[in-house]
Amino acid sequence: MDETQLIARVRAGDSAAERALYDAHVDRVYRLAFRLAGDDTLAQDFTQETFIRAFDRLGSFRGEAAFSTWLHAITTSVVLNGLRKVKRFRQREADIDDAHSIGVTRRDAEPDLKARLKKAVDELPEGYRTVFVMHDVEGYTHEEIGVALGVETGTSKAQLSRARAKLRVALSDFAREWVT
Amino acid sequence: MIDQDEDPKFEQWLKDAAQSYHAPRATPREKIWQRIQQTRRNRHVIELRPWMRWALAAAAVLVIGIGIGRWTAHQAVVVNAPVVATTDATRPDLAYQVAAQQYLARTEVLLTDFRAQSAHGQLDPQFVAAARDLLTTTRLMLDSPAADDARLQPLLEDLELVLAQITQLPTATGRKNEMDLINQGMNQRSVLTRLRTATPAGPAPARAEGAL
Repeated sequence: MDETQLIARVRAGDSAAERALYDAHVDRVYRLAFRLAGDDTLAQDFTQETFIRAFDRLGSFRGEAAFSTWLHAITTSVVLNGLRKVKRFRQREADIDDAHSIGVTRRDAEPDLKARLKKAVDELPEGYRTVFVMHDVEGYTHEEIGVALGVETGTSKAQLSRARAKLRVALSDFAREWVT
Repeated sequence: MIDQDEDPKFEQWLKDAAQSYHAPRATPREKIWQRIQQTRRNRHVIELRPWMRWALAAAAVLVIGIGIGRWTAHQAVVVNAPVVATTDATRPDLAYQVAAQQYLARTEVLLTDFRAQSAHGQLDPQFVAAARDLLTTTRLMLDSPAADDARLQPLLEDLELVLAQITQLPTATGRKNEMDLINQGMNQRSVLTRLRTATPAGPAPARAEGAL
């Protein structure tokens, strides 16, 4: 069954189809929420809220864009609004347990680099950080980012370029690693 | 000046290194799915749209205001004390203030108790239910005119977050750490101090009488 048929069945009230649609997309939604929030509890909250909204609004999905694109627009909206709300309050957990990490096949960054990189990315303006995480970390295209954030593709590219420039300055102590 | 887009070595190095940034854990699929189902089931019973929340909050405050009004009128007759005249225009605001003070007093008690219980990493199951109840009230307060108060609104937002965190505490494993994090957050934002500052001293009836 293709996704269009699956969505039609969800609209018709098929709970099994609803679960299938959830299973097909939950990993990517949760990954993006976790990357942006840096906190498991918040990532779960945001993922939950994303799917509740998506199921509520499925009637307004016209299929003009891919379902995943539409879903990730909801995800970024939920996550960014949620993070703004808790920004003043929440203390981000600094320690990420690598043993629980998934999908990382490259070598781990050195501890000092890891901490410095985290700090540098956290300090980026919200727009730069979001685009950087979506593009360079999670592999979204500029077109997908543009739709998700409601900005032009050129804006996404410009923000990524500025984010990289800031990170390059912040991580200049490690220049020998990328020069060699 | 080097254009960042023309430095593929740096870009590749950055992409590799950035994989450690907020590296996600395995998706707790079942847990999230259960929560989605639970939330949607609850909403099917009573779905509170924003205007309904406001109406509910207004109705609740009205009932409390009328109750307090009758109570204070009764007290005035009993003790034959002089009654301070108020205009009808000021009464709705006062009713909201009274409702807010009662809510703040309950929240203060709950969070003080939470701090005490978190020292042992234990939590009474009824405690979480009480926190959930207060969370609902907090959201109603945020949607009511009480949130127009510039001092009260940020406090309500902080309380909403704390209560939401408490209602989502894990049942056993990792609970102590989570409780410590909540306490840390409360300390950083001086939540209890601000809550106590916003709550006048004295028993609840005295506060209500003072407000009126």
